[in-house]
Amino acid sequence: MGSVYRLTLRQLSGKWRLAIMTVLAGMPVAISMLMLSSEHAPSVREFEKVVLSGMLAGSIAPMIVLAIAAAALGNEVEDRTLANLTLSPIPRWHIAVPKLLAVITIAAPFVVVSAFFTSWVGYLGDVKASVAVTVSAFVGVALYASAFVWLGLRSSQAIGLGLLYIVLWEGFFSGFVSGVRLLSIRHYAITLMHGLDVRRFASATDMSFGIAIVMAVLVFVGFLVSSVRLLRRMDVP
Amino acid sequence: MTAATRLSAAPLGMTTVIRVDHVSRWFGSVVAVSDVTFDITPGITGLLGPNGAGKTTLLRMMTGLAATSRGTVTVFGERVRDNPPLYKRIGVMSEHETVYGFMRGRQFVRMMGELRGVANLEAAVDKAIALVDLADAQHRPMATYSRGMRQRMRLAGTLVHDPELLILDEPLNGADPRQRVHFKHLLQQLAAEGRTIVLSSHILEEVEQLADTVLLIVNGKLAASGEFRAIRAALNQRPYHVKVVSDAPRKLAAAVVTLDSVDAVHVDPDGAVIVLSRNVRDLQIELPRLAKSAAISLRRVEPLDDSLESVFGYLVEQ
Amino acid sequence: MTSTGTVFDIGYQRYTDAREGRGRSRQAIFKDGVRIALGLGRGGRAKVLPWFFIVVLSVLGLGFALVAGAANRLGGPGTAEKVNLPSHSDYYGIASIILFVFGAVMAPELLCRDKRDGTINLYLVRPVTGGDYIAARWAALVAVMSVVAWLPQVLLFLGLSAGDPTPIVYLQQHWIDVPRFLLAGAAMALYVTTLSMLTASFTSRRAYASVFLVGLFVITTPFTVGLAEEIGGKAGQWISMFNLTNIPVHVNDVIFGDVSDITEDAPARKLGSAILVSWYFVWTLVPGAVLWWRYRRLG
Repeated sequence: MGSVYRLTLRQLSGKWRLAIMTVLAGMPVAISMLMLSSEHAPSVREFEKVVLSGMLAGSIAPMIVLAIAAAALGNEVEDRTLANLTLSPIPRWHIAVPKLLAVITIAAPFVVVSAFFTSWVGYLGDVKASVAVTVSAFVGVALYASAFVWLGLRSSQAIGLGLLYIVLWEGFFSGFVSGVRLLSIRHYAITLMHGLDVRRFASATDMSFGIAIVMAVLVFVGFLVSSVRLLRRMDVP
Repeated sequence: MTAATRLSAAPLGMTTVIRVDHVSRWFGSVVAVSDVTFDITPGITGLLGPNGAGKTTLLRMMTGLAATSRGTVTVFGERVRDNPPLYKRIGVMSEHETVYGFMRGRQFVRMMGELRGVANLEAAVDKAIALVDLADAQHRPMATYSRGMRQRMRLAGTLVHDPELLILDEPLNGADPRQRVHFKHLLQQLAAEGRTIVLSSHILEEVEQLADTVLLIVNGKLAASGEFRAIRAALNQRPYHVKVVSDAPRKLAAAVVTLDSVDAVHVDPDGAVIVLSRNVRDLQIELPRLAKSAAISLRRVEPLDDSLESVFGYLVEQ
Repeated sequence: MTSTGTVFDIGYQRYTDAREGRGRSRQAIFKDGVRIALGLGRGGRAKVLPWFFIVVLSVLGLGFALVAGAANRLGGPGTAEKVNLPSHSDYYGIASIILFVFGAVMAPELLCRDKRDGTINLYLVRPVTGGDYIAARWAALVAVMSVVAWLPQVLLFLGLSAGDPTPIVYLQQHWIDVPRFLLAGAAMALYVTTLSMLTASFTSRRAYASVFLVGLFVITTPFTVGLAEEIGGKAGQWISMFNLTNIPVHVNDVIFGDVSDITEDAPARKLGSAILVSWYFVWTLVPGAVLWWRYRRLG
C-alpha cells in the first residue's frame, strides 16, 4: 500500500496546484480578518453563514478536495496508467485506500489550517469553537475525498458533476429544500460543528448529531466500498 | 470464411497455460471478439491480425483487464478476472505507452517490483534493467526518454518479478533495428527458460522468426492457429506459387502444364516460370524428372508464398 | 549501366477539385467545437453534462414563467410585475453561477484535451494557424453559451406571453425585452467564454482549469464585498468592481435599465453605466487578447 500512497502523493503535489490551493485556503482567513477589522463587524450568525458555511464549507473545502480527489484515480484512467496498479497481485482495496489516504493527506492540511485560523479569528480566539470547526472540516474533507475519488474513477466528467453537486445541490437546492440537507456532506459537517460546540451554528437543527455521524460514516464507507467494487469490475483501459 | 482451423492441439505432455474457451466480447452492437477458443502452451505464441481485428480486446480479456461477454479465460487453471494473486505469475505490457513522466526509470521498475512483492528487490531491479540494456539511463526521469527507451523500461517493469507468463501487446513499437534484434534474443532466451510468451505484433517477419505458434484473428474470429507452415498447408483451396528459373522457360512451361499436380502455369516478364500447384509434394518429385527428360536445366526453384505474410494475406482477404 | 525507374499508370486518380482554404478549416474547427461542447456524435455519456445544464437553466426560466403566471391568475393581470417577481432582467443574475460553471466545465473540454493528447499539432500542420484554432474554438463556445443563455429567456418570454390574458397586448408592450435579453445573453456568453478559455489555456488537465475558474468566481464575491464594505466610498465602489460574478450582470442591468437582485447592494452600481460597461469590455477584451496571443505563438 505504501507504494501506491507514495505514488499518489507525488502525482498530486505539483507546485502550481499547491500554490492555488494555498491561495484558495487563505481566502476565508483573509475575509474573517477583514470582517472583524470593519467598523460594521458582522454578527456571529452572519460570520457563520457567509464565511464558515457559505465560503469554507460551501466552496473552498469541497473544491480543493474535488480538484485533488477526482484526479487520484481519474488521472490514472485518463493517462491509461491504472493497469500498472491493477495488474499487481494486491487486493483492490490496497489501491483504493492508499489513494484516498493520499488525497486526504494533501487536501486536509489546507482545509484544516484554513478552518482553524478562520474560526480562531471569527470566534475571537475561542478554542472550543475553533477545534469544533477544525475537526468538522477534517471530517468534511474525508467525506468529500471518498465521494470524489469514486467519482473520478466512475466518470470522465467527474469535475463537471462534482461542481454541479457543490454549486447546485449543496449551494442552491439545499437553501430551498430542507430534505436535500440529509444528502449533503456540507450539512453533515455543519451539524458536526454544532454537535461539538452547541453554542455555534445554532441554526443547524435540520438533523441530529447522531444522524449526521451515521450519514457521515455511511457516505465515507459507502463510496470507498464502491471504489473498490468498481476497480474489481471495470474494464481497465 | 471457413471455420477456424485448429491445426496443432497442445502436444502430449505440454501444460496448457492459457485456456480461452468460447470467448466473445461485444460493445453495444459491435462484436469485437466472436466465439474464440484456443489453448496456449509454453513457448512463444504470436497473435496477429489486421487493425481492428480484436487482438487487443482478446489480450485484455486474457490478462483480466477486460471482462468477457461470454465464455471463460483461465490462466494456470484459474480464472484470470478479479484474481489479483495470479498476477504474481503474469507479466503484462499493454499497448499504451504512457508512463509516469516524473519518475526515474529505476524508480518505476522498483515500484513495479514492490507492487508485485518481489524479494531482493534491488537485485531484481538491477537484473530487469540489465536485461533491457538501460542501466545508463535508469536514473533519468522517464519524461526524458525516447519512445524506444520508454518501451524498454516498461518491459523491465514487466520482467522484474520474473513471471512465468508474459503477455506483450505491440512490444516493438518505437524500437530501432538494433533494439529489435536485442529484443528477439531476449524473448528467445526467456522462452528457452520455460516461460510462456504471448506477443501481439504487426511485424510479420519477426513474429515468423520468433513464434512457434501463431494465432490469426480476423474480424474478431480465430481464422487459424498453429505453426504457420502447417496453416499454409491446410489452406488447400489456395494453390502454392512456385517460381522456377531455367534455361528454356517456354519449353518448361509447355511440359509442366501437363503434370497432374499443376493447376496453372505462366511465364513472368523476367522469363521465370510460375507454377500454381495444390500438391507441392508431388510437384517436388515430378518437376526434376520432367526437366531431365526434356533436357531442361533448372537453375532455381523457389516457393513464393511460403511466408507468414502470404498466409496472413490469404486469410485476411477471405 | 544506368538504373532507370518507371511509374506505371495503374489508374490512380489524384484529387483535382478545388481545394478550400483556411476558411473551410476554421469552419471545421468551429463545428467540431460545437459538437464537443454539446456532446454531439460522442455517445450518450458525453451528452449528459451539457444537456443537464441546459435543462436546469431552462427549468429555471420556465419556473419564472409559471410563478408569474400563477401570480397573475391569482392577483389579476400585472400582479407579477407589481410584486416584482423575477423576470427577464433578473434571470442572468440568478442563473449566472450556473452559466459560469457550465463555461468552466466546457472550456477545458475544448482546449485541454487537444493539448494533453497532442492533437493540437495535427491542426497546426494544416493550413491553420494557432490564431485560427483558438478563434474557431472560442467562437464555438460563444455560440453554444449564447444559445444556452438565450433558450431559457425565450421560454420565459413565451411562457409570460402565453400566460397573459391578452398575449398580443403583452407582446406589443414587452417586445423590447427580446433584443434586451439577446444582447444581455450575448454579453454573458462572451464574458464567460473568454475568461474560461483563458484559464483553460494554462493547463492540460481539465480538472484544475475548471476548479480554479469556479473558485475564482466564487471567491471574489465575498472577498470584494467584505473589502468594499470595510473601505467604503469611491475606493469601495472600485473594489466592488472586482466581483467577477457581477461584471456581466451590471451590463445586464444597464441593458434592461433595471437593477437585478444580485447587484442591488453592490457599491459598484454607483459608478454609472459608462464605467460598468467599459469595465466589462476590459474584462473581456484583455483576456481575449491574452488568449489570442498565447495561441498565436503556436505553429
